[in-house]
Amino acid sequence: MAFNPKPDDDQVLVEKRSCARVIILNRTRQLNALSFYMVSRLLEIFLEDDGNPDIKLVIMKGNGRAFCAGGDVSAVVRDVKGGDWRLGAKFFENEFKLNYLMATYSKPQVSILNGIVMGGGAGASIHGRFRVATEKTVFAMPETELGLFPDVGSTYFLSRLPGFFGEYVGLTGARLDGAEMLTCGLATHFVPSTKLSLLEESLYKVESNDATKVSAIIDKYSEQPSLKENSVYHRMDAINRCFSRKTVEEILYYLEMEAMNNKADNWASTTIRTLKKASPTSLKVFLKLIRKARLQGIGQCLITDYRVVCHVLQGHYSKDFFEGCRAILIDKDRKPKWEPSRLELVSDRDVDRYFAKLDDQGWKDLELPERLNNLPPYVTSKL
Amino acid sequence: MDNDNRRASRRTEVLSNHLLPRPHTTTTLLSPSNCLSYSPPELSSSNPVSFDTSVMRSLLDGHNLDDRDWLFGLIVQSPLFNRQERGGRVFVSVDYNHTMEQQREETMRRIGYLLDRGVFRGWLTGDGPQEELRKLALHEVISMYDHSLAVKIGVHIFLWGGAVKFLGTKRHHDKWLRATENYELKGCFAMTELGHGSNVRGVETVTTYDSRSGEFVINTPCESAQKYWIGGAANHATHTIVFSQLYINGGNQGVHAFICPIRDSSGNVCPNIRIAECGHKIGLNGVDNGRIWFDNVRIPRENLLNSVADVSPRGEYLSSIKNVDQRFAAFLAPLTSGRVTIASSAVYISKIGLSIAIRYALTRRAFSMTPNGPEVLLLDYPSHQQRLLPLLAKIYAMSFAGLELKMMYVNRTPESNKEIHIVSSAYKATFTWNNMRTLQECREACGGQGVKSENRIGPFKGEFDVHSTFEGDNNVLMQQISKALLGEYIVCQTKKQPFRGLGLEHMNNPVPVLPSQLRSSILRSSEFQLDLFHLRERDLLGRFVAEVSQYQAQGESKESAFNLVSPLPCFVNYSFIDSLPYSLYVLPELSSCRGLGQSFLRTSNTENLHRGGVEGASWFIEGCLGSVEVVICLDFCG
Repeated sequence: MAFNPKPDDDQVLVEKRSCARVIILNRTRQLNALSFYMVSRLLEIFLEDDGNPDIKLVIMKGNGRAFCAGGDVSAVVRDVKGGDWRLGAKFFENEFKLNYLMATYSKPQVSILNGIVMGGGAGASIHGRFRVATEKTVFAMPETELGLFPDVGSTYFLSRLPGFFGEYVGLTGARLDGAEMLTCGLATHFVPSTKLSLLEESLYKVESNDATKVSAIIDKYSEQPSLKENSVYHRMDAINRCFSRKTVEEILYYLEMEAMNNKADNWASTTIRTLKKASPTSLKVFLKLIRKARLQGIGQCLITDYRVVCHVLQGHYSKDFFEGCRAILIDKDRKPKWEPSRLELVSDRDVDRYFAKLDDQGWKDLELPERLNNLPPYVTSKL
Repeated sequence: MDNDNRRASRRTEVLSNHLLPRPHTTTTLLSPSNCLSYSPPELSSSNPVSFDTSVMRSLLDGHNLDDRDWLFGLIVQSPLFNRQERGGRVFVSVDYNHTMEQQREETMRRIGYLLDRGVFRGWLTGDGPQEELRKLALHEVISMYDHSLAVKIGVHIFLWGGAVKFLGTKRHHDKWLRATENYELKGCFAMTELGHGSNVRGVETVTTYDSRSGEFVINTPCESAQKYWIGGAANHATHTIVFSQLYINGGNQGVHAFICPIRDSSGNVCPNIRIAECGHKIGLNGVDNGRIWFDNVRIPRENLLNSVADVSPRGEYLSSIKNVDQRFAAFLAPLTSGRVTIASSAVYISKIGLSIAIRYALTRRAFSMTPNGPEVLLLDYPSHQQRLLPLLAKIYAMSFAGLELKMMYVNRTPESNKEIHIVSSAYKATFTWNNMRTLQECREACGGQGVKSENRIGPFKGEFDVHSTFEGDNNVLMQQISKALLGEYIVCQTKKQPFRGLGLEHMNNPVPVLPSQLRSSILRSSEFQLDLFHLRERDLLGRFVAEVSQYQAQGESKESAFNLVSPLPCFVNYSFIDSLPYSLYVLPELSSCRGLGQSFLRTSNTENLHRGGVEGASWFIEGCLGSVEVVICLDFCG
């Protein structure tokens, strides 16, 4: 157990404004990265409020310049290196249970994404019913550069983005702004940051958990921002052509063709460079994950994510996650040495191993609670 | 005066409302409320399923799961495939409101998209069981989406391409295979004629050889010789395989296959060729079926597909197989793949129909059992269960049997070809007939919703009806079984050798003895059921052979003896089909999965008793077993 001398309580601030629960992530020095404590506390709050008829709405936001920059993976790495990998797994177990609860919640969750929202931060917001982006929003799923993979059930919502945008976002860790998030559906609304306090005041007045009424309130402050000129979203044709391919190698091949045919535009070559910096194992595992997830419900996606992340933490097949954290987060030399080092050295069988149950005594698949009662229709479609 | 003013001001108000937009008055939005007594099937039971569904899926699909998921993804994520988002979920199916022309256009566009994404790579240029299995898997996914798309692709790749690959030689492969895979040309398959479908050997198109120019000359001598139902020919095809009688020096050498261009690259029909449209069909309107007449069409000598026989430049007919019947059989052996794919896709369509009907039955309620009680779910009624669940059990059995056939096919050797021919004929006939019966039951089980096209079951009936008569009429295929079994029996009898292959090995064992006391536990055991099927087959086959031999001894030909002993050959066919899959079950694999084995065995045993069905019951009534109890038990379980 990691010993933290500072009191954790103020990492998550909780308020109640008439019928609305307001949750504020408050770990500003770490850009609100989710610690073990924060995940447990959030799970507690959501579980308590689930059966409470006085709470009709949940609002989530972050203090400082981030909504939430991700799960605190350095802490996980410290825990694993300190002793048992299962301590690290516990963090993910709680986090994924929280993600499931948010995805299947009986009340609408409005996340105000006024800043950085990445990795675990996406898991704590995108599964909710409403996501409000602003002109300050920066979204990304950058896990492949860390030797991990976009987890937190992100394969569920990434696979349902238009065309093969989800593959692109997950493999490359591309940064998206508020307008792009709205266009592709990751965000449900776009509200300029100056209007946020007014929006929140209106939301406090909500008296039912009817999603259409909440949507109408947010609509009043929403705008339709235009995409920037060199937005990656203007390249959907090329993205679909390349990222629909069956294997990562083929994706790279078609990106190279794209780069050759469009010498004026450096999008393709930049994308190739980004892919070549990521862990080859992570790329292949994520591609298989998102293809499966497209045909599965949210519960199954999280169960699969948990299996894969446990294999990653156990480290029998590859130590890329630990090497990635070292190079990017700890030593910050940004020169990770992946092992296997090339895509050709990662076989299909190597990838398949990550999807099997763990051969470890006492290990069990992620157990998700049954969510059978009074669920809104937009939730049952996710099951 | 007041009235006039009022009228005038009202009129002014009306007119000004036409010209100026009214300010939006906030009215309560009409928003849909949750149904009070509807809930999706996922939530209808609190008992979680007792086995891992992903393991069951990999057993049922059997192979290339990743390839299938990839192709599903390509289809679901593209706007070309009519994806609809309903209640947060995405559905893909064709738009049933489209005209024949629109359907054909869409089908070609979808093919273009799949081609661009590399779906067809290796379908013809690849070799070996792995490549074949991948191709079969991807084609199955396509046929689940749309039969027209599957057939349009199938005609080009499996029929045209398959003929070039298996009936042609290296020069044909080099010239045509890669071009076919890349859709640089569009192929079709001109075998069927207006006057001849099942009886391929009777086609009337005539081809002669002109040794002076080194060309074959193709002709349609009469109206019954016109090619009919040629998929792809009416609008798009540029090339075709023509099946015709080959006359060399005045002598008929039998049916051969030739490559013939029918359109140029701009889409204009070639000279001396006439093409007409077959017209609207009950299904498959995304496929442009055409009629073709040949009027002294000349093709180079090299266009003869010469893997079995050839013609020298001087006009000599050459073949390594001297027997005309054997030559013809070798010729048509490659067409087995059609029967294998049809059997598989019939099973998948039944699965879709049953999934829809059973899920519906888990949400739809009708009538209460108690006063003021809630209405009962359809599937909670035993009568509804008895309509659908035996069909479900049957489809599990057929699914595994079909998988076994696929494996036999991709690992085929010259020795196994005969067995594959018989088994594929048997399965193609059985599975396609079963599919129609299943779809009808599912349609009825969904009531009015089954009539709505978007719910898929109804259109499937029209789309897949043709399954029972194309690629071999089911009844004709079934006759092949009894003929083969007769032949095998006589050979083994005269040579006094044991039965091998065609599932007849059980005939080498002593006659099974049925216990005189038939308790429920015995009736439900696999051993007893297997013995029943084997006993039935042994008995029917023995009687069939005896009666045919008797008529032959009286001077009748084999063919007329067959007609005279009718319907015995039919019973023989059914008994063959019923016992064969059972002996091919992958039961050992299933029992290794906890829970899976139990559930499956329970359903399969019920299903087998059900399969005894009409034919089985009639056999028992004929007097092979004196016990009336048995008949009653079987009917009850069925």
